[in-house]
Amino acid sequence: MVVQTEAFIMLSMVLFVLGTLGVLLKRNAILVFMSIELMLNATNLAIAAFAHQWGQVDGHLFVFFIITVAAAEVAVGLALIVAIFRAKRSINIDELHQMEG
Amino acid sequence: MGTLPSLESFNLWAALPGISVAVWACILLVIDLFIPKTRKETTAWLAAGGLVFAFVANLLVYNAEVDSFLGMFRADQFTAFFNIVILITAFVSILLSIDYLKRAGIERGEYYVLMLFSSAGMMFMAGANNLIVVFIALELLSIPLYVLAAFRSPEPRSEEAGIKYFILGAFASAFFVYGAALLYGATGTTNLHEVFEQVGRVIGGETTGMFLTLLGSGLVLVGLGFKVAVVPFHMWTPDVYEGAPTPVTTFMSVGAKAGGFAALLRILAIALPMLVLQDGQTNAAWQNVVVLVTTATLILGNFVAIAQTNIKRMLAYSSIAHAGYISMAVAAAGTAGIGNEAIQAALIYIIAYMFTNLGAFAVAMAIEKDDGSGTNLENFVGLGKSRPLLALMMTVFMLSLAGVPPTAGFLGKLFIFQTTLHAGLEWLAIIGVITSVVSAFYYLRIIVNMYLRDGEGDPAAGATERVNWAVYVAFAGTLLVGILPILVTTLTERVTLVANIVP
Amino acid sequence: MENTGLSLVTVVLFLPMIGFLILLFLREQTQLQTIKYVTLGTSLITFVASLLLWAALDINNPALQMVQRIDWLPQYGISFYVGVDGLSLLLVVLSTFITVIATLASFRTHALEERGRQKLYYLFMLLLEWAMIGVFVVQDMIIFFIFWEITLVPMYFMIGIWGSERRVYAAVKFFLYTMAGSLLMLLAILYVGTAAGTFALPEITAMIQNGTLSFPFDGLFSPQSFLFLGFFIAFAVKVPMWPLHSWLPDAHVQAPTAGSIILAGVLLKMGTYGMLRFCLPMFPEASVAWAPVVGVLAVIGIIYGAWVSYAQTDMKKLVAYSSVSHMGFIVLGIFALNAQGISGSILQMVNHGVSTGGLFLIVGMLYERRHTKEMAAFGGIWTALPVLGGLALLISLSSMGLPGLNGFVGEFTILMGTLGSQSLGFVFALFATTGVILAAVYMLYFYQRVFMGELDKEENRQIEKLHWSEYAALVPLVVAIILIGIQPFIFFQPMDASVGQLVTQMQPFVTSVVQLVP
Repeated sequence: MVVQTEAFIMLSMVLFVLGTLGVLLKRNAILVFMSIELMLNATNLAIAAFAHQWGQVDGHLFVFFIITVAAAEVAVGLALIVAIFRAKRSINIDELHQMEG
Repeated sequence: MGTLPSLESFNLWAALPGISVAVWACILLVIDLFIPKTRKETTAWLAAGGLVFAFVANLLVYNAEVDSFLGMFRADQFTAFFNIVILITAFVSILLSIDYLKRAGIERGEYYVLMLFSSAGMMFMAGANNLIVVFIALELLSIPLYVLAAFRSPEPRSEEAGIKYFILGAFASAFFVYGAALLYGATGTTNLHEVFEQVGRVIGGETTGMFLTLLGSGLVLVGLGFKVAVVPFHMWTPDVYEGAPTPVTTFMSVGAKAGGFAALLRILAIALPMLVLQDGQTNAAWQNVVVLVTTATLILGNFVAIAQTNIKRMLAYSSIAHAGYISMAVAAAGTAGIGNEAIQAALIYIIAYMFTNLGAFAVAMAIEKDDGSGTNLENFVGLGKSRPLLALMMTVFMLSLAGVPPTAGFLGKLFIFQTTLHAGLEWLAIIGVITSVVSAFYYLRIIVNMYLRDGEGDPAAGATERVNWAVYVAFAGTLLVGILPILVTTLTERVTLVANIVP
Repeated sequence: MENTGLSLVTVVLFLPMIGFLILLFLREQTQLQTIKYVTLGTSLITFVASLLLWAALDINNPALQMVQRIDWLPQYGISFYVGVDGLSLLLVVLSTFITVIATLASFRTHALEERGRQKLYYLFMLLLEWAMIGVFVVQDMIIFFIFWEITLVPMYFMIGIWGSERRVYAAVKFFLYTMAGSLLMLLAILYVGTAAGTFALPEITAMIQNGTLSFPFDGLFSPQSFLFLGFFIAFAVKVPMWPLHSWLPDAHVQAPTAGSIILAGVLLKMGTYGMLRFCLPMFPEASVAWAPVVGVLAVIGIIYGAWVSYAQTDMKKLVAYSSVSHMGFIVLGIFALNAQGISGSILQMVNHGVSTGGLFLIVGMLYERRHTKEMAAFGGIWTALPVLGGLALLISLSSMGLPGLNGFVGEFTILMGTLGSQSLGFVFALFATTGVILAAVYMLYFYQRVFMGELDKEENRQIEKLHWSEYAALVPLVVAIILIGIQPFIFFQPMDASVGQLVTQMQPFVTSVVQLVP
């Protein structure tokens, strides 16, 4: 059975929307962060499917770059979250309101 | 598979400014290990030296018009112009940082390395001619900035700025990259010039993919909209600008915005000018969206700024408003035939904004206390007496931000309004004008505080020799651009993104 | 037309800047006297230079003279383009003249010593003079706009730093009102300039004359009218015309004496000059079509200003509102669109500058002595200060338009122009005349309350005599008042050719549009 590109795209869109909703709705910084990862991976899926459809390697290249960049983001993001956790003993992003206005 | 391309055909030399900054950042990371903790100033000067080298290199390749890395990177005047803006910004920010870091007790060598990396990212944003490169440059720009914003850790406000910037920045990148993926799906290419051709075919009905193209370009716009902080993607700005260490705020308020607009202009003007909804229409489909966003940005940025009591927050909203003015030119670029003119206007506005904003933040930093407090508007009371020279320069910066001649800010607005009118967007121009008057109100308040109200003037402890020099540079730039605009218009004369490609 | 040498106009324009630079190197603590005299000297030299300008002007030539043009942004058609003609000459002389008076008036101003920062004050004075001359001599719309906006900054600080109690409010209001008006003008300028491909006014006027450039016009709300309004509203705020005048009383009342003198003497004229220089030649049809509307507003301003003046108890407010009334006359004369009306207006601009400047000077002198601007605090000053009383009488009479003095000549010519105008006419002249009568009422009322009557208050009896610098400020004004009154010919002469040319250009439109719009 050959799965159509459309199916991959639909799936990736669903994942992307789920990720977006996660970022908007979750209050735990780790979960927000994971949702962002989900969005990036939805992108990877879409690109891989498109690359297959166009029969090119460009898309696959793009995926590698995204994976690498995501890893870098993880490093920075987790470091920040740890720093916040040390100070506050909490990673609820609603509790971040030092600045008003 | 054909033969591998020769090294010469990569035209590495044309990307030298960006490459040199990135490479120097890597080397500096190592050198920094051998610099004792008490002498981190050396790292700063080494970093600044790298920027100077890149600046000279940039002048040498200023008039180049070549593709590097097999069309992934485009070196032209547009790139070189943005390089100038970014390098000056980075240089001034480093100048501001040296004493600030000492005062705040966070003197670490990585700071300067991160700044260099981020600058390199911005420079590649300007030259990126491929969606993949735009994405990587965007991340290279952003990730160091997340760290820099939180650099004052464990100070809670700084950490909070870092995490907020990080979450929203990563969120925006995800939007951008998903948009890029859809565009790739619709066109089968990530090269902007090829995207342009394919979009033309999609519009002409030769290939399918209209839906993907529209959705993709929309998401790309959202992603970059976050970076340049236009409404409704602006909410991170005030908190991040307030919480981040002031030199970092300075750096990102100009550099990140410039980088974002560079990518935005290149993508919209090169890849998507053909994106029209109906045959025979001359204005790109995204124009109305940009007009809407611009209007909201101008109004919200300027009106909310009135209510601010902290100079950093006020400048944050002001920077949102200025993003609005720049996107007036972006909107104008959507009218057929106006493209190049509008882009030149945007560039002139950006350089004017750069000088002025660098100066304004530098003065704000000068009155900041060691613990990061003292940035309320009230702290400006009496500055005209205690630090006359500093107050005078702040006056000029405020007038420039408000767009009063003969400053750079006026000149920028002049070009922006002209191109907006030329593009047939009269209403947008009128909104721009009205919000300018509103903006004059809150900028004047600083001047009122400095001169017209009596009080014990702030000693401006932060105004050390180096900070003063940074202020002088910004001041000279602000006036020079305003009085002799020919200096910057010559720099943009040959910026012709659109003519290259419009058939 | 290109002039490679240095034109006299450029010299006059940049003379104040030389003084400005000298001041920068003086120290306030030790060289205060020098600062004052350098300012006075600079303004005097500039005044003399502007008189040379008058002497050098060929009065039979209606065109721009002593032109100098340097490219500023050639690719956009913007150039630094200066020159004078009959329309601007008198106003240049007025600016330099009033600056001298204002400088002299500053020497004895209490607020200056109280608030300090006198060097800054004199720097602003010279900056303001530079910008004012710039507004009158520059022929390129963008550069004009730049000078126009620059005038805001020093005036803003003058009011804001050295003004009286509510100075901050007044200064900000002044700045925002004018800026709001002028930014719409900027849009109109950009529109016109983009359409014409150049921002040089003489070239645009020539293009409109020979028909290569025209802005579509078919009634009160057509593109040309919107452009006209863009310019007109900016100027009307500055004049200020009713109902945009509310910044003026605040600014005048709060400003230091010299600030009021310059504001009334020159800055308001920038508005009327702008109408004359930009609105009429660039948008002839719209000007003609809107003339009745403008006329009505002007007449309302004349009567309203006079009426409100009469109701004031504060001397400065009284004079400020009288300005609204007098400026209404000037606008009326301009929109009479004939030679008499326009010449009368230009002369009246000078007259108003001299007379109202004089009135503010007198009010300032009284304020310095008694620290109040309430008329009730005075009375019988004539007995205590006979010389001031005499000079004040003369200035008051001039302001109310007594025959033989300057005000009469201007107002009479304007009224004659209005009567003979195709766009305005008898009714306008009739109502405007009411303004003249009311002017007599409030001016006499003012004079009587302050200078006549019993010298019944102890403080007034021991009032300080006039200082030499005060005489030096007042006497030239009085001389000018009498000179214009008995020899108006000298002043009409240089403007005749240019006004004639403007009217000739307008005439075809007057005839055609007046028939079009009932």
